[in-house]
Amino acid sequence: MPLAQKLSELINEIDATIYNRFANKTFWIRAEITDVKKYKDKRWCFLKFIEKDGNAITSEIKGVFWSNTYHHVENFERETQQIFASGLEITCNVRIRFHKRFGLDLEVMAIDFAYAVGQLEIERKQTLDRLVKETPGLQLLSNGCFSTVNNRLELPTVLQKIALITAPNSDGQRDFKEVIEKNKYGYAFAVKEFLTQVQGDAAAFLIVQQLANIKSANEVFDAVVIVRGGGSDTDFKSFNTFELSNYVATFTIPVLTGIGHDRNTSIVDLVARQHKTPTEVATFIIDKNLSFEQDMMQLKERIFSGVKNLVDTAQKKLAYNIRIIKSSSPKTILNKGFAIIMHDNKILTDPAMIDVNSQVQVILKDEILHSTINKKEPNGNKLDF
Amino acid sequence: METSLTFDKAFSELEKLVEEIEDENIQLDTLAAKVKIANELIKYCEVNLRIITADIEREKLNS
Repeated sequence: MPLAQKLSELINEIDATIYNRFANKTFWIRAEITDVKKYKDKRWCFLKFIEKDGNAITSEIKGVFWSNTYHHVENFERETQQIFASGLEITCNVRIRFHKRFGLDLEVMAIDFAYAVGQLEIERKQTLDRLVKETPGLQLLSNGCFSTVNNRLELPTVLQKIALITAPNSDGQRDFKEVIEKNKYGYAFAVKEFLTQVQGDAAAFLIVQQLANIKSANEVFDAVVIVRGGGSDTDFKSFNTFELSNYVATFTIPVLTGIGHDRNTSIVDLVARQHKTPTEVATFIIDKNLSFEQDMMQLKERIFSGVKNLVDTAQKKLAYNIRIIKSSSPKTILNKGFAIIMHDNKILTDPAMIDVNSQVQVILKDEILHSTINKKEPNGNKLDF
Repeated sequence: METSLTFDKAFSELEKLVEEIEDENIQLDTLAAKVKIANELIKYCEVNLRIITADIEREKLNS
C-alpha cells in the first residue's frame, strides 16, 4: 500500500513552490479575454485569458480583477469607448496567485490601453475619410465639423412630434422623457419610441433599421432624437461606424443626438445635431418652443402698444379739434361781449343790406335788444383790435 | 380662421399685423378687426403649443 500524504500537504507544497518562484513578481502579457463576468456592485471582474492556434484554444488561465484594480476596467472602457468584454485582445500586467481551494489564476494589476486607443483612432480616421469620399452632400468644414444634408435641414419653429430612438428601460430614455413630460410650460409633445439596443455589434444595423421605420411611418415627425444613457457602459462603436454615420448624414428628418459622452464626440454626433446628454436634448427642444412663444408674446406687446399709440394720438387730435370748435362757437364769442345782429331773421354781415330806420335785433349773451337804426356811418377803425 | 394654419403662418401673419398697426397711416376703423385677428392667431399658437391636434398633422402631410 503506497504511503499517501494528505491533500493539504501536497497543496501546501505547490503553494510554497509557486510562492518561491512568483511572489512579488508581475508580468506583462498580451492575450485574448473571454467569459468576462463583471460584478459592478462588488467591483469584481472574472475572466479567462486564452490563446488560440486557429480556432483551437492552446492556452487558458483564469484571470481576476478585485475591487482595488477594478477601476482599470472602467478606465479601459472610458478611454477606448468600448465595453470590456469577451473577444478583446488586451495587454495587461498580472501576478500569479495560487489559492488552496480555487487554484491558480492571474490577478490583473493594470491594463495598457494605448494599443487599443491607437487602433480606435485609426478606425475613426478611416471612417471619416470614407464619409468625405462617399456620403452625398457631406462637406468637411475648416473647423473640423461636418456640414451634411441632415444638419443643414431647417428645424421646425416648434418641435412637437418626436421619434425617439433609445434602448428600452434605459437611463437615457427615462431622462429624456422625464424632462419632456414635466416641462413647466405645459407644452404638449407626442413622443413615439423606436426601441433598439444601442450598443454591441448589431447596434449600428438595428439603429439604421429604426431610422428606416421612422422614414416610412405614417406619421410626420418634426425631429428624430437618439439617446443613450451614461453610466459605465461606454460602448460607442456603433456611433462611429460608417454605415450608421452615412445613414444619419443623409437622413431627411433632423436628427438630434444625446448619446451622453462628456469628452468625446462620436461620428454620428458630427453629422447630426449634437447635444451632450438626453436631458440636454429635451431641454433644447423645450427651449425652442419657449423661444417661439416669447417671440410671439413680443409681437403681442407691440400690437397692444401700437393700438394704444393709435388711440392716444386719435384722442389728442379729437381734443384739439374740440378746443378749436369751442373757441369759435357763437356762445364763446357772446361770452366775450360781442353781439350778433339779426335782420329779417338772418345774421347781418353786410351793413349795406340795411337802411336807416330798419328794425334789427342785437343778440347779446343773455338778452336780445330790439332796435331801430338811427344813423349809419363808416367805422373809420375806431376800435383797434 | 383658416384650417391650414401652422405656427409659422400664424407668426408671419402676426408680424404683418404688427407692421400695419405700427404704420401711422392705418385706417382706424380697420383696427378692431386687425386686433381681433391678432388675438385669434395668438390663441391658436397658445392652444396648439399645449395640445397636439390632428390638424397640425394633416396640414404637414399636405404641404
